[in-house]
Order: sequence, then C-alpha cells, then structure tokens
Amino acid sequence: MSDLKNASKYYWHYFKRYWFGFAMTAILIGISTACIVIAPTYLGRAVSELTTYLQHWSNVATRSSANLGTFHKTLLVYLGLYLGDAGTLFIASMILARITAYSTGTMRVGLFRKMQRMQVQYFDSHSDGDILARYTSDLDNIFNALNQALIEIFLSVAQFIGLLIVMFNQNTTMAWVTMASTPVALIIAAVVMKKAGVAVNHQQDDIGRLNGYINEQVTAQKVIITNGLQKDSVKGFLKHNQKVRESAMSGQIWSGVLNPLMQGMSLLNTAIVIFFGSWFALNGTLSTGAALALVVVFVNYAQQYYQPIMSLTSLYGMIQLAITGARRVDEVRNQPDEVEPADSKKLSGIKNELQIDDVHFSYLPGKEILHGVSISVHKGEMVALVGPTGSGKTTVMNLLNRFYDVDSGSITIDGMDIRDFSLKDLRENVGIVLQDPQLFSGTIADNIRFGDPKANMEQVIDSAKQANIHDFITSLPNGYETFVSDEQSVFSAGQKQLMSIARTILTNPQLLILDEATSNVDTVTEANIQAAMDRVIQGRTSFVIAHRLKTILNADKIVVLKDGSIIEQGNHEALLAEDGFYAGLYRNQMVTD
Amino acid sequence: MKVLMPYIKRYRKDAYIAIVSVIALVFATLWQPRLLQVIMNAILKGDKNVIFQQGIILIILAVIGIIAGVVNTIYSAHVALGVATDLRADLYSKVQTFAYADVEKFSASNLVVRMTNDINQVQQIVMAGFQQISRIPLLFIGAFILAMVTMPQQWWVLIAMMAIVLGVSWYSYKKMSNYFAKTQQYIEDVNTVARENLMGIRVVKSFVQEPHEISKFSKASDRLTKVTAKIGYNFAILMPAFFLTANIAVVIAIYIVGQNVTVHPTYLAAITSFISYLMQILFAVINGGFLMIMASRANISLGRIDEVMETDPSMTYVKGDSKPVAGDIEFDHVTFTYPGDDSPTLEDVSFTVKAGEMIGIVGATGSGKTTLAQLIARLYDPDEGVIKVGGTDVKQLSEESLRETVAYVLQRSTLFSGTISANLRQVKSDATTSQMQWAANIAQASEFIERLPLTYDAPVEERSSNFSGGQKQRLSITRGIIAKPKILILDDATSALDAQSEKLVQEALDKDLTETTTVVIAEKISSILRADRILVLDNGRIVGNGNHKELVDSNSVYQKIYLTQKAREEGMS
Ligand SMILES: Nc1ncnc2c1ncn2[C@@H]1O[C@H](COP(=O)(O)OP(=O)(O)OP(=O)(O)O)[C@@H](O)[C@H]1O
Ligand SMILES: Nc1ncnc2c1ncn2[C@@H]1O[C@H](COP(=O)(O)OP(=O)(O)OP(=O)(O)O)[C@@H](O)[C@H]1O
Ligand SMILES: [Mg+2]
Ligand SMILES: [Mg+2]
Repeated sequence: MSDLKNASKYYWHYFKRYWFGFAMTAILIGISTACIVIAPTYLGRAVSELTTYLQHWSNVATRSSANLGTFHKTLLVYLGLYLGDAGTLFIASMILARITAYSTGTMRVGLFRKMQRMQVQYFDSHSDGDILARYTSDLDNIFNALNQALIEIFLSVAQFIGLLIVMFNQNTTMAWVTMASTPVALIIAAVVMKKAGVAVNHQQDDIGRLNGYINEQVTAQKVIITNGLQKDSVKGFLKHNQKVRESAMSGQIWSGVLNPLMQGMSLLNTAIVIFFGSWFALNGTLSTGAALALVVVFVNYAQQYYQPIMSLTSLYGMIQLAITGARRVDEVRNQPDEVEPADSKKLSGIKNELQIDDVHFSYLPGKEILHGVSISVHKGEMVALVGPTGSGKTTVMNLLNRFYDVDSGSITIDGMDIRDFSLKDLRENVGIVLQDPQLFSGTIADNIRFGDPKANMEQVIDSAKQANIHDFITSLPNGYETFVSDEQSVFSAGQKQLMSIARTILTNPQLLILDEATSNVDTVTEANIQAAMDRVIQGRTSFVIAHRLKTILNADKIVVLKDGSIIEQGNHEALLAEDGFYAGLYRNQMVTD
Repeated sequence: MKVLMPYIKRYRKDAYIAIVSVIALVFATLWQPRLLQVIMNAILKGDKNVIFQQGIILIILAVIGIIAGVVNTIYSAHVALGVATDLRADLYSKVQTFAYADVEKFSASNLVVRMTNDINQVQQIVMAGFQQISRIPLLFIGAFILAMVTMPQQWWVLIAMMAIVLGVSWYSYKKMSNYFAKTQQYIEDVNTVARENLMGIRVVKSFVQEPHEISKFSKASDRLTKVTAKIGYNFAILMPAFFLTANIAVVIAIYIVGQNVTVHPTYLAAITSFISYLMQILFAVINGGFLMIMASRANISLGRIDEVMETDPSMTYVKGDSKPVAGDIEFDHVTFTYPGDDSPTLEDVSFTVKAGEMIGIVGATGSGKTTLAQLIARLYDPDEGVIKVGGTDVKQLSEESLRETVAYVLQRSTLFSGTISANLRQVKSDATTSQMQWAANIAQASEFIERLPLTYDAPVEERSSNFSGGQKQRLSITRGIIAKPKILILDDATSALDAQSEKLVQEALDKDLTETTTVVIAEKISSILRADRILVLDNGRIVGNGNHKELVDSNSVYQKIYLTQKAREEGMS
C-alpha cells in the first residue's frame, strides 16, 4: 500500500500542472454520463408515443389525427443526447490523450534530467541496463496504463456516483443492501492487490536485471566472440530469462485474477439483492406489487453497481504496472544529487595557486585509497603525476573535478575550497581528458565541439589540427560530417584519444587535466602533438598523468604517488639525482640500447 | 503471426485449457441475463420456490464464472509467458551466433530494445488474445443470431453498423501500424541517447554539457511523445465514434419500426431486446477492434524480432570438434576493407610467425595494428588472401578450435560485472584458485587482487568502474592467459601499466608461456625489444620485418618511432 501512496505522490507531481485539463475532463465526463443516464427515458417515451400512435391509428375515429410528429421529435432528442455523449466523451478523451502523452514525455525527460544531476558514484555502482529499463519498460508501461485507464477511471467514477444518486433516490434500504457486499469485495481486492503489487515489483525488478544483463553482454560482444563465450553468455541469459518468467507469471496471475473475482462478486451481489429483496417485498411495509417492482429495479442496479468496478479491474494489470513503474522511476529520482554549495562563489580562473591539502579519500567506507595527499601548484605550472597502476592518480583527478568529494582535507583554488564554487563554474574551468575516451552519436564535428556546441567550424578544424587528427578526418569521404557513435566509430583507439584531446583543446580550460591522454597513441604522433600540447599548456595550470615519462620530462613538478601516498616530489633532474623510485621507472622505460 | 505460431504450439495444452475456460466463462455470461429474466418474473409473481431455486443456480453460475476466469488467467499467462520467454531465448541465442559486423549493423542498444520492449508487446497480445479470442466471436455470434431472430428485416442496420465499426477499425489499424512502427523506432532512439549518456557521464559532466544533452534527449523524447499523442488521439476518436454509430443504428431501427408500426405492430415490443443485442454486438466488435489495434503494435514488434531472426550470420564456421591447433600464424597477401569503407585498411599483408615465437607489431595510430589482430581472431574475414593458424585457413577451423587456440586481449579492456573469479572462469570453467593465482602472477595482478578483502571473489562493477585503468588491463591479461592459449595477442594491453609492472609482465610471459606464440602490439618500443621479430605497419602495409637491431639500422619508419623514445641523455648526464 505504501507503493500506492508513493505512486499517488508521483502522479500528482506530474499531473498537477494539468489540473485545468482534468477539471474539464471531469465536467465533460459528468455531462456525458448525464446524457447516458437520461437517454433511456427518451427511448421509453418514444416507445410509448409509438404505442399511443398505434392506438390512435387503429381507431378509425382518431386515425386522421394520428401522427408521428412527437415520436420523431423524441427520437431526435434521443439522438441529440447521444451526440452530446459522443461529443463530450470525444473532447474529454482528446484532453486525456494529450495529458497522457505529454506527462509521460515530461516523466521521461525528467528522469533524464535527474540522471544528469546525479552523483558519478551511482553510475559507477549500478547496472546501465537496469537504469535504461526504466525508459524502455517502465515508462512504456506507464504510458499504456494512462492511455487506457485514465479515461476509464473517470467514466467509472462518474457512473458510480450517478448510480449511487439514483439508487438512494429510489430506496435507501435497498440501496444499502445493494452495497452490502462492497466491504467483502474491498477486502478481496486489497488482498489480491497486495499480492499483485509484490509480484509485479519483483517482475519489473527482474526485467530490469535482465535488461542489465543483455545490455552489458551485447555491449561487450567483441569480448564474447573473441573468447568464444557465446554458450556461457546464453547460459547466463537463460537464468535471468527464467527468473523473469517465474516472477512475471505470478505478477500476471495475481493482477489478472482480480477481474474474474469481481465478476463473481457481482453475481453474488445480485443473488443477495434478489434474496433480500424478495424477503423485503413479501414482509415489508410496501404494497407487494410496488415492492416487487422495486426489487426488479434493484436487481438491475445491482448489475450496474459492479460494472465500473469490473471495467477498472479488467485494466488492473496495467494499472499495477504503472504503480510499479512509478516506484522504479522514483527510486532513481530519490537518489542524491551532486552537492552544490548553498551560496556559491564565483570562479574565474586560477589567479595564484591550487592546493591539495592533506586529502584522505575512500570510495568504499573503510577502504582508504588516498592517505593524506598534499600537492601545491602555482598558476601556469605543469604537475606530472606518476606512479604504479592503482596508486590513486585517477582518483586525484576525480576529486579535482568533484566527481567525488574528499573525506577529509581540502582542495582549494586561491584559498577557496572547490566545494564552495558551483559545479558549473568549477568544471567549466577544469578541462579533463579522460583515461577512457568516449564519443557520442553525431558527426565528428559535433563530437569535437562537444564542450562548446556553439563553436564554429574554424575552431573545430583548428582543434583537430592541434590534436593531429585533422588529416585523418579529411581523408574520410564525408570528412567532419562523418556520422559516428561510440561503438561504431571509424577511429582506432589512438585516434579516439586524439579526438578526445581535440575536444578538450577547443574548450580552452584554465586547469587542464590529462589522464593518460595519449596512452594508445604512437610516440611519433605523440611527439607531434606534444608541441601543440605545450602551447596549450603554456600559461595554463595543468595536471598530467602519464606512464610514458618522455611526455612529462618538462614538468615543473613531478609527483610520485604510490599506494595512495606521495613518496617523491621534484623535477625530472632532481628526481633522477635522488635515484629513487622515479629514477627506476625512467630507466626501465627508455630504450638505451 | 507466422513467427508466433510455432511458439504457441509448444504450449498447446495450456492454450486449450485457456480457450475451454473462456468458453465456460462466455456460457456463464450469456446465461446469466436469461436466468435473471426468469427470476424477475418469479419475483413479480411472488413465487418463492422459483426465486430460491434460480437464485442458487445464479450462485453456482457465479462460482463457475470465478473458477473459469481464474483458470483462464492462469493458463493464458502460461502461454503468453512461455511464448515470450522462448522467443526471447531464441532471439538472444540468435544474436550470439552473429559475427561482430552483424552486431554492429543492428547496434547493441537497439538489439537490447528488441529483446525486451518488443518481446513484451508480443507477450501482451498473446495474453490478451487468450483472454478474449474465443469470447469475442462467441458473444458476437450469439448476440447476432438473437438480434436477427427478433427483427429479421433490420438485418441491414446490423450489417451497416458492423461494417462501419470494422471499417474504421481496419483503417486505424493501418494508421496505427505506422505510428507504432515509429514508436518502437523512437524508443530505440531514446534508449540510445540515454545509454550513451550513462556510459559517458564523466565526459558530459566535465564539459558541463548537461543542458545540451538534455535538449538532445528532449528532441528524441518529444518525437516519441508526439507519436504517442497521435496514438492517443486515435483511440480518443474510436470509442465515442463506435458508440455513436451504435446509437444511430438504434435510432434508425426505431424509426423504421415507427414507420412500419401499422404493418408490424409486434415489433414494438421487441425494440428493447433488439437494442440490448445490438449493444452486445457492439461490445464484442469494439473489443475485437481494440484487440486488432493492440495486435498492430505486436505485429510491428514481431516484424522487428523477425528481422533479427532472419539475419544470417555474415560469417560461418565449419563444424568440427574443438581441438587447439599449433601456434603458427601465416598471412598470405591479405587485403581487408571495413564494411562500408571504400579504401582498404590492410593491403597485401604477408608474414609468417612460427609457433612459440614472440612478435611485435608497431606502427602509427590508425595504421591497422588492431585490424590485423582482429583478423587473426576472425572478428572479420579478409577480402583477399588467406590467414592461416596452425597451418589451416582460419575459415576451415571450427569456432571452438580457433577460440581455444587464440586468446585475444583487446585494446579496450572489458570485464563483466560479477566477480573476478567469475570473469576468469568464463574462459576456463574449471579454473582452480591456484590456476587463477598462476595467471594473475604472470599478469602482475595478484599484487592488488590479493589485497582485496575478498581476493578472487571481489566484486566487479559494470564497466569495471571499481578498478583503475592499469588494474583492468592486468585483469584482462589474466583472463587472456589463464587457459594457456597457443596464441596470445596483446593489443596494446599494457598501455596503462607503469614501466615496472610492464617489464615484470613480459618477463613472466617469457618464462611461463614459452610454448605460446605471442603477438604484442605496442606503442612503446621497450615493450617489444625482446621480440623475435617486429613487424612495422604503415598505412595498412608491412614496411618492416626484422628484429630491433635490424630495424633500427635499416627501417626509416621504425627509426622515427625509436628516436622519439630514446632516453634524454642530456637529462641523465
Ligand atoms: N569507483 C571505485 N570504487 C571502488 N574502488 C575504486 C573505484 N575507482 C578506483 N578504485 C580503486 O582505487 C584505487 C586507485 O585507483 P586509480 O584509478 O586512482 O588508480 P590510478 O593510479 O589511476 O591507476 P592507473 O594507472 O592504473 O590508471 C585502485 O585500487 C582502484 O581499485
Ligand atoms: N569499425 C571500423 N569501421 C571502419 N573503419 C575502421 C573501423 N575500425 C577501424 N577503422 C579504421 O581502420 C584504420 C586502422 O584502425 P586500427 O584500429 O587497426 O588502427 P591501430 O593501428 O590499431 O591504431 P591504434 O594504435 O590507434 O590502436 C583506422 O584508420 C580506422 O579509422
Ligand atoms: Mg588511472
Ligand atoms: Mg589499435
């Protein structure tokens, strides 16, 4: 039931802006229901008018005065009422269709917006496919449910209210009798819905996991093929598939049985009305004739009473999916956002220095990765971070850009903690070339101007030239307009890194971070772009991580990180002279014949 | 539907039970009004016995209805989920027979949508089908016959009404098909944008491009929203239009009765029942119509599923037992062009490697090193020339033999989420801890694995995001060597390793995998110094083939690379 409450809150959030549309719908549906309720009386009148006409016509004396005029008029009114019904129903449905489509659209974009605000940590520890299932499965379910159930809910409620009014007007006792089985129906519904809720929750979670599995496997299809893992992959898939089958089975069954159960309740209720009504008629205060007529009328009402409930429960499977969908979308929406300072200070470049001061950090509580790292950099300096793999170099970069926040200690720019700047400000000043380059679907030009979509072609080409990728791009038949995506790029691994460098060069950041930006690039090309890089780095503060020490020989300061602690610091010459860890690394790598 | 039948047939028994129970349900539904008629008459007559008797029958009918309904739900679910599960399994297995180029053609993200969302559409229609399929025609036929009996000469009113309703349904079926096809397409687009934003979230954040990505996503999402709105509008027209049609039919019927009342006065009494039959027919037809529209979405999805099912893998393997072959490699005038490219990426490449040799491949970025390696692993087939592994054309090797012979450590290291040991056991299912340790020792991975609280059972997150770049690479080298392959290809597999670790990896490989042919692609000359031979690739051609000394002396491309990596003597002095 807490799911139901959450779902109400969720839909309220998206629906409240459409209050006017809903109000209109309610009015229109009210009119439409009124038309439907009134129309049969005109039908009855038409029939009786016809009877009168027949009587008049049969009688020779009155035959001349017999005419069908009033009959035709009544028929016209009847038709008019149904036109009114159709018209109002149509407009109401159109309004709801619009609300449905656009509110689902808002939910979809809202989820994406939320995703963009969330902490990197969430993505580092959750399956992509499970998140994606919210777009492709849960939101689709929500749309389907709204598309069909929303109007039905309105209609059913209107019918229900209409019937209650009519019933209580007729006879209060019989009206209560007709409603007598309602608590039982409610209890049954509550029990079934509880079971169904749990089952459908499982079902959608399993579908999310299945989606996660498929997404991860197919994304890594190259690994699967080259290692001949297809059979394994299918085996793993079958496990997930079977799980989905089982949980979906109980989900479908529990949400599917509500309708037949209510159908049964409807018949039972009719039986109750009949039994009690006959007893009431035969032992009551009314004249028997009138009482019996009343019973007949209420038998009809008893049937109609369950009609709205049955229409709604026949859509219950969908509705439950929408409730579960809301829960799953909400699960993501409730994740913490990246932390923004309450009142942010303005950051416009580094004026003096950047200071990393006694920083401790752990990804997982209790497993500290950085143990008191302190580095200070003056404006315009280039700092190189070297050290064995896993020593925490990328982690330092993650902290500089606030992908993660320090546990203790601080990072300051000109004495101000970077957590006091708005994320936008900070990141606009920090340009980072990541260890693992990632392209987006779009043209090559789009990818290069990713950091500044308004950049003109000249800037794009200039950056590409500096990153030494221009010649390759122009050799492609469509040049800069070649369509690429991350999976289907025309680039080799090294070329992709060059693209990633071009992308960063274009944004002209104040603080530049290069995390093994050229690890897959051959050393000749690397030497070529080194000149360009030197120019880019010139006057800018930069952090460079590289295993190829050749690229960092000119660094103002080389920081050697090992197991999360700084063990050496100084420039190339000084560190070689020290003959410590760095000197060892250097000698190992260089070809010295 | 052709695709679907064989799957439904597998659940024939459940399908029959579902249908029989739905017939029982229809029976209960149709009988109930008659029963009520009898009861009402009895009430009006005050006939207690009849009331009591028929009341009991009504209760029995209710119980039959409940049981039939529940049974129908259960067995329809059996069929629907059985079909969906089997179909999805077949689809997945099919994708697993694909060559890499086929996966690229469909794109991973689209394949995922087809295996989940599209399958779900099919599941829903099967479920709805078995709940409705026999109900609709039975209700329809029953009501139709009764209506005809009541007022035979108004047959054309009935037919006209049905024709209009069915015509409109058919028309919107066609139109909706079109919209649903777009819907599925747009869902794929939405999935693609969302997916690449998940994978590249760090890039988006570091360039502060959230607003831009949101507007990109909004565009894709708005297209979906618009088409779903159109679907909604179509539904919105249908329902009132159907009801209006029926009520116009009612008016016409009464009008005709009115005009002829002097000739057929008896019809006057029949009007009410005629109308109620008319409405029953209408409900049956409307349900059928909606089912048809739902089917149009499922039909689109089936088409999309079928498209994958009908794709023949662009590469086939000979059948045969899995037996690793020897570790020789031979390229004989190999030329290769990527699908959709117009100039070849590798041109006339020839070389041989003897079993147990270590060869290095160097060359500029984009010169074709990875491409060459991928051909050995048969990710693609060459346009011209022959590639032999262990003396046999790779096209003549069974898939199992090839995979057992060749281990390929990709340039972009990828592990699967789960645990370290699960990743290693994928390649060697019976790997013991000591075997894992042996491989991890060579790859210099044991150093950090053993420091993890769970060691080999330590979790691996998606995209191996909880490991550093160099750790990922060492784990994927570990996976590459654990099965002691005859041929090991390391495609720049130590690029993120520090020089120290890299040297240790190489020494260990030399020592422990003496019989393995090792192909090392590297940017760093230090990584391949000890190779028996080094191939120099330039623009897809082999321009040098010899050991380090020979190449340094005679090969200009190699010299250039070498020069950029020589120690800065002035720095040392
Ligand atoms: N998201 C994460 N969750 C948990 N642990 C992590 C995460 N990211 C990194 N680690 C751990 O933190 C340590 C430091 O990783 P980091 O990526 O900073 O290393 P690195 O110095 O950049 O190494 P490399 O040279 O291999 O890239 C490693 O032991 C790694 O396993
Ligand atoms: N899937 C593909 N489709 C079309 N062209 C491709 C594809 N993959 C690579 N190419 C092109 O083929 C050429 C060779 O790429 P390859 O990946 O073999 O280079 P490489 O030598 O491994 O480079 P690197 O050192 O950067 O890894 C490149 O010019 C690249 O643009
Ligand atoms: Mg790193
Ligand atoms: Mg490569």
